[in-house]
Amino acid sequence: MSEFLHTFLSGSVDLLVRVFLIVVPIMVVLEVFEGTRAFRTVVRAWARLVRHVGLDERSAAPTLVGFLFGLAYGGGVIVRDVRRHDLARRQVFIMSVFLSMVHAIVEDSLIFIALGASIFWVVVYRIAWAALVTLALTAVAGVWGRRRRSGGLGPGGTGGAPPR
Amino acid sequence: MTGPDDSIPGAPLPQPPQGFWPTVRRDLKLGVIAGLQTFWDLAKVMIPAYGVTLALQQLGVIGWLSDLARPLMSAMGLPGDAAVPLVVGYVLNIYAAVGSMQALHLDARQVTVLAVAILIGHNLIVEGAVLHKAGMNAFAFGALRVVGGLAAAIVANLLIGLVG
Repeated sequence: MSEFLHTFLSGSVDLLVRVFLIVVPIMVVLEVFEGTRAFRTVVRAWARLVRHVGLDERSAAPTLVGFLFGLAYGGGVIVRDVRRHDLARRQVFIMSVFLSMVHAIVEDSLIFIALGASIFWVVVYRIAWAALVTLALTAVAGVWGRRRRSGGLGPGGTGGAPPR
Repeated sequence: MTGPDDSIPGAPLPQPPQGFWPTVRRDLKLGVIAGLQTFWDLAKVMIPAYGVTLALQQLGVIGWLSDLARPLMSAMGLPGDAAVPLVVGYVLNIYAAVGSMQALHLDARQVTVLAVAILIGHNLIVEGAVLHKAGMNAFAFGALRVVGGLAAAIVANLLIGLVG
């Protein structure tokens, strides 16, 4: 039991330090550069890509963070943006599905490429798979949402609050 | 999701500051606040999830689940023992999965196929907690990542067989 506690405590500290060292810089960089032309160019280019899986421009930044750094960090930015400007629930759903299938594209992929996995299957195939699954599930959720008439995830519902 | 204290970082900004440095200073401050807030959000869900994960490991749940998953492995062209890194990845994380992959003797194709499954489904408890925080159903997304990852690996194995 004391060994368990020891592992838990040291593991928790390790986890907290790692999350802190990644999350705070990401947020500062996002905040400082969000308004700049270069950042907007990158996000707009990314938005043009993820538009094909049904993500709008406001969802592009959290999706990009998750795609590059990982689900937990992308999730953090999603939580921030949900709180800040009421991201539509449908958008959060699409982002979560897409990021569930592909995230931390650099770090996670490199680990397996180092083990001898093929870069094509680990990167290109995974992105294509994520796009397919996202489109399929969004279609299913749309039908399901319309049937329930809640509009929660249906394509008709904006889910977002009016702009403040 | 929205409590009374939640409005601080998301509150509409009063008068945007004029000039370069005042803007940068404001953004830095906002970034640090958003970073700390997100860090706290993530810590609150990640640490308990980590504790549960450790407990599952200590209780021998990983070995039991691996035995269950063993028959599935042949559908991906993998030996039964490959169930262990897969389940280790599901419950713990990618690094733990890679660690237990070292003990197996897999060829390049098998490493690639197993990598696809693990890259999509891993760290389900901790990352599920973050998705839950973003307002999604953590169980549904955990299941989606397991099923989606296995399906992606099965398809990859078939396609690699076709293209050689």
